[in-house]
Amino acid sequence: MLELKDIYFTVPDEEAGNGLIQKTILDGISFTFEKGKFYGITGPNGGGKTTLAKTIMGINKNTRGQIIYNGQDITDMTITERARQGIAYGFQQSARFKGVTFRDLLSIAAGTDDEGKLMDILARVGFCSLDFLDKPVDSKLSGGEIKKIELATTIARNPGLAIYDEPDTGIDLWTIDPMVRLIKRQITENGTTTIVVSHNKAFLAAADCLLLIKKGQIAYTGDLEGAMPLLSDLSVCGYANLCEGDIDARCYR
Amino acid sequence: MLDAIDKNLLKAVAGLDGIPKGAFNIRKNGKLLSRAVSENINIEPNEDGTGIVVTVKPGVINESVHIPVILNQAGLHDVVYNTFIIGEGADVTIVAGCGIHCSGSRPEGHEGIHEFRVGKNATIRYQEKHVATGEGKGKRSLNPTTKVYLDENAVVEMELTQIGGVDEAKRVNEAELGPGSSLFVTERILTEGHQIAISENNIILKGHHSKTNLVSRSVIKENSKQDFYANVEARAKSFGHIECDAIIMGNGMNETVPALRALHPDAELTHEASIGKIANDQLIKLMSLGLTYDEAVDRIIRGFLK
Repeated sequence: MLELKDIYFTVPDEEAGNGLIQKTILDGISFTFEKGKFYGITGPNGGGKTTLAKTIMGINKNTRGQIIYNGQDITDMTITERARQGIAYGFQQSARFKGVTFRDLLSIAAGTDDEGKLMDILARVGFCSLDFLDKPVDSKLSGGEIKKIELATTIARNPGLAIYDEPDTGIDLWTIDPMVRLIKRQITENGTTTIVVSHNKAFLAAADCLLLIKKGQIAYTGDLEGAMPLLSDLSVCGYANLCEGDIDARCYR
Repeated sequence: MLDAIDKNLLKAVAGLDGIPKGAFNIRKNGKLLSRAVSENINIEPNEDGTGIVVTVKPGVINESVHIPVILNQAGLHDVVYNTFIIGEGADVTIVAGCGIHCSGSRPEGHEGIHEFRVGKNATIRYQEKHVATGEGKGKRSLNPTTKVYLDENAVVEMELTQIGGVDEAKRVNEAELGPGSSLFVTERILTEGHQIAISENNIILKGHHSKTNLVSRSVIKENSKQDFYANVEARAKSFGHIECDAIIMGNGMNETVPALRALHPDAELTHEASIGKIANDQLIKLMSLGLTYDEAVDRIIRGFLK
């Protein structure tokens, strides 16, 4: 249902400073995502995971390659057009507004301000408190609250393809399992193709297929078991050619 | 009599669909158009005939006063001095505002100087809206001044709104807060074209445990300009906060100067100020929910000025 054909994304290399040298973030990624499947994207920091997710949503424009969604070439479509085609995105760093409430966002996402319908969505996402609806989506919200709003607005789109970028950031440990169940339920009940970018084992274990992205390329696809040797390497900073030795301040894992 | 333009202006500045119920005073082109007093709220001309005195009896609750001003006479510059005396323990809403309709090339303007004396334990909600309409090229200016004196434990909530239309506005807000009193000011201004708006706020926290929160939201479009000055001076153990945000669109210019002055060791004063374009992450979030770029901008601005 989503086909990435030889996707490249390059930006001017800031360290080079003259704007002529290009830095390749996505280096020829090709992959086909199947309808109703759960994909986990993982890999080292700076490897290109978020860039890939944003490229699918149209937030980044790929420099080369083609994106086919449900048989349609969406490579040149704007974010808005892709959203209207059924792609939804849960941001890692959620936008904070002034004067925009959760109700406003949810109404936009759901395309209705009908109280009953909004309540249905809230129930689906597992919000018990209705007071929450009129809270401003501003900097006063906690990290956990804003992630739930991010999740709710994504699910409210009833998307064909849902992309979640690190949905567990700022969420307490006890909320992760219900979140995984919620995302899985969207897959079984609505056939939502789901891509989750995460380092969290709870998401990676739940995925039908893992993609390990390293240096802008797909280093591995398959199940978690097969990925384990590579992933455990990550935890001791085993990316020798990335870390350029044992001591490298850029590599925290 | 109210004509169609008057009715539109009245609706815009005071939310009125005609002559309001309760106490009101409608001023048109510098003259009294219509007035009504109620059992508890009196309105009469001041001694030198330059404005009105509104007196609210002590203990009056849930009543409102409407005092809109409308202007549609070319070349007129209307100046008015109004005084509000709010009795102890009263709780009332005051809706002021000025609507200018300018169809010609000559300038029109209004200066409303409002003084509030808010008694002990009294609460007022004061709403002031500025609206200017009409196709005329004449310059429309509005220069309101409000002076607020809060007695012990008085509460004043002020909402000041000006969304476009006004070419030049210079607002001055002054307040002195007695013990335990609270002042909350929210100012929302949108300028466009070559409009200029200046807002100057001087708040003195005189009494112990007095507090103020001053919120300013500015949207500066096209080639317009807005300056915001806020001075909070604490002379007692008190609390003050200033929050001013300006969104710049096009070639708008803004100067924001919050100033805090603590003259007492137990004063707690804080401020947040920001100037900038609409944040990109806000736009992207709304577009990812299916809005177009323009719709997203509109939603963000509407929310910001709400």
